[in-house]
Amino acid sequence: MTTQQQLQHLYWRAGFGARPADVAAGLAPRKALRQLFRDSEKFDPLYTEQMRYTETAALTPPPTPDLALDPQAMTMKPGGLTAGQRKQQNQQIRDAFYRMNTGWLDRMATSPAQLREKMTFFWHGHFACRVRRPDAALQLNNTLRKGALGKFGDLLLAVSREPAMLQFLNNQQNRKQRPNENFAREVMELFTIGRGHYSEQDVKEAARAFTGWGYNAGNQFTFRDKQHDADAKTFMGRTGNFGGEEVLRIILEQPQTAEFLTTKIYRFFVNDTPDPTHIQPLAQAFYRSQYDISDLLERLFSADWFYAAANVGTRIKSPIELLAGIKRTLGLELENQQPLIVFQKALGQTLFEPPNVAGWPGGRNWIDSSSLIFRLQLPQVLLKNAEFSIALKEDENDIAPSVSKADRTFRQQVKARVKLAPITQLLAKTAPATQAAQLSQLLLQAPIRPENLALIQQAADAAPAESRLRTMVTSLLSLPEYQLM
Amino acid sequence: MPTTRRDFLKTSVLASSLLFVPKFLHALDRQGLAALRDAQGRRLVVVQLGGGNDGLNTVIPYRNDFYYKARPTLGIREANGILTLDKDLGFNPAMTRLKGLYDQGQVAVLNSVGYPNPDRSHFRSMDIWQSGSAADQYVTTGWLGRYLDSSCPSCQVPYNGLEVDDTLSLAMKGAARKGLALKNPEKFHQATQNRLLRQVSQEDAGAGGSEMDYLYKTLAETASSADYLYQTAKIYKSAIAYPSTEFGKNLKTTAELINSGIESRVFYVSLSGFDTHVRQQEQQGKLLGDLSEGLGAFAEDLQKSGQFENTLILVFSEFGRRVGQNASNGTDHGTANNVLLLGGGLQKKGILNDAPDLQNLDQGDLRHQVDFRSIYATVLRDWLGADDKVILGSNFDRLSGLV
Repeated sequence: MTTQQQLQHLYWRAGFGARPADVAAGLAPRKALRQLFRDSEKFDPLYTEQMRYTETAALTPPPTPDLALDPQAMTMKPGGLTAGQRKQQNQQIRDAFYRMNTGWLDRMATSPAQLREKMTFFWHGHFACRVRRPDAALQLNNTLRKGALGKFGDLLLAVSREPAMLQFLNNQQNRKQRPNENFAREVMELFTIGRGHYSEQDVKEAARAFTGWGYNAGNQFTFRDKQHDADAKTFMGRTGNFGGEEVLRIILEQPQTAEFLTTKIYRFFVNDTPDPTHIQPLAQAFYRSQYDISDLLERLFSADWFYAAANVGTRIKSPIELLAGIKRTLGLELENQQPLIVFQKALGQTLFEPPNVAGWPGGRNWIDSSSLIFRLQLPQVLLKNAEFSIALKEDENDIAPSVSKADRTFRQQVKARVKLAPITQLLAKTAPATQAAQLSQLLLQAPIRPENLALIQQAADAAPAESRLRTMVTSLLSLPEYQLM
Repeated sequence: MPTTRRDFLKTSVLASSLLFVPKFLHALDRQGLAALRDAQGRRLVVVQLGGGNDGLNTVIPYRNDFYYKARPTLGIREANGILTLDKDLGFNPAMTRLKGLYDQGQVAVLNSVGYPNPDRSHFRSMDIWQSGSAADQYVTTGWLGRYLDSSCPSCQVPYNGLEVDDTLSLAMKGAARKGLALKNPEKFHQATQNRLLRQVSQEDAGAGGSEMDYLYKTLAETASSADYLYQTAKIYKSAIAYPSTEFGKNLKTTAELINSGIESRVFYVSLSGFDTHVRQQEQQGKLLGDLSEGLGAFAEDLQKSGQFENTLILVFSEFGRRVGQNASNGTDHGTANNVLLLGGGLQKKGILNDAPDLQNLDQGDLRHQVDFRSIYATVLRDWLGADDKVILGSNFDRLSGLV
């Protein structure tokens, strides 16, 4: 494997793809890795004024909030808003989510903090959460971003205190006399230790420990003493008057937690099929380092097997990685960002809208006849103004399930600009006859079939001179090979 | 002897359907081909009502005082034109063609269908129905997808499950096999006509199990299926009048695929807009009319070609709605709901179980009497001849003698 191939592989896994400039710079992979960590040192929250959402902002007439109620349910109470106000609010909520969505996608494509953003994207699928309030969702997102590369225990605690997560997993309803086990269960099953390593009794006891963990109308964590069950509990063999923090600590004391998390990280960053000989040492180091995420990632990205042929170009890109990757490599800019939302929905992954608390299954689950055809057509739509007509399924979000068919149908040409100059520069010293091959090595992580290379060559030769490069790029991106990273 | 695949298709259109074999089926044993007519050529058409259809105003308990107490303005009265059935239940006035089918003994109604610990969130409950899972499970495949995964003979062909839409529902996604989503054969075919795509789709998928192989295999099957469906669907163009709605068009497409002789076992069609929190009467009436007229035309179309006997239609929604109306002359998310079954092969017809119990509620919501997975199990085993236990993951008592 050449240095270029290794470098591209690193940028595709630890970030959202290699830009031509990255390839031109030609850093040694070890150096590039150090640079990735350096560029991600700072935490820069995702936020713009357009993403701002306040519960009752700009509703006419402004409703009177009832602060005694669950703030998340505040305006869902049927009599609380008029139909017109509800519609207006739904619109504002949708708009805020879409701006958060496209804002984050833009970051993935352009931020130097590639590693931090990629890791935030991983945690976004791991701590999957779906709520109605955009401000709560954004707050959780930034908590993930802040703790993405630190100690997992800190991240876990911070996420467990986020109003979005507490609401999503019904912990606001978890009270001393009427416990709700959902939060406790999912924390153990999905977020930390995994099925088969705790008992139903453990879930019950953990739920008791989390009673009182809630939030207020201002999106702040609030501990409600009166709702908290402060009595003795027996959890994973230990007994004490545990609160939520102690339960989390006990979970982290189990080495199995380190193995569960390491396996998941391995499957996301290396190969869908976990290799115990790689994972065991990583998990043990992760545990010994008190769950230091950066340390784990460094070991993973530095391992010899990271660059093994079995692990390069063998992962199906998620819809987000596909879109962000095209954006990043080609400097793609859209006049109107709305198509990016449409594409996410058409391909089955929309930021801030995981299907459920288990996140997105990934891998071959992304691919069916329709989604594959869309993926293969996407480059033509983005780069050659090809027409794209699709009726999305009803907005399954509870925000507005009755969006009309007309409003769900997307039938237009996308106005997009790409920056091909850096690619032209990269190919400057390459003879025209070998440019297609060179370009394929830049854009594809999997080896190109000779028959496909011939097709690309043919397409390039048939194209007018001024659009030759665009034609080659579009064609390469339209191959099944481009779906792999 | 036809020399090109195109010629082959052309000549075979005139020949018996046994000879009408797309290229990739040539590998199958001739005996195996006869077995393609598994489950005695039966097929399932699932009609999904999206949004949570209000069951109580669909199959109306018009003699039940509690119904009118709970719905002072939203309750539908006999005088409004309720289409009376049996057991003091009647269809919504908009459902005239369904009433016609009911009178012909081609409709069965199951009341109070649901599942334990019901979820009142659209996407969560729809996922539960589509995956055939329990309320606390997160399953990433659909019940029909897992049917496609099963080793039923017809499951070998990539077009055994068809969804009439641009994107594929969870219901049709299996672990290894998935249904095909297409708005109609023309559009689906058009999408595979891009020159590069066409050429690449004809390349060999590798014999291995790599992700690359999977992509090429999927592409090849998609292009092949698109061709086959496009060519075959030309055989039959419906002369029946369907409603000019999206749903009507989708049912028409389904009928044309069926009547053209396409051997698919499972079809999936959706009608949405049932989330009637406000001004329910009008909106639901319109949709139920669409449903009724559409299914009426569909039934007529299949009857004409003798395909209604071996077609079973299952109509469901992800939840019903609350018994009491809300302050906006609508209803909010509820729980159990009715399920309709239609077809010429129904052995049990009419109202199959008791009307919903409006007194014994669970915090204002109906309690379920039938687990929806029992219906799935019945359809899978007794109608499609598949292994319901493997597909659903455990045993659910079937409704004996239903089909």
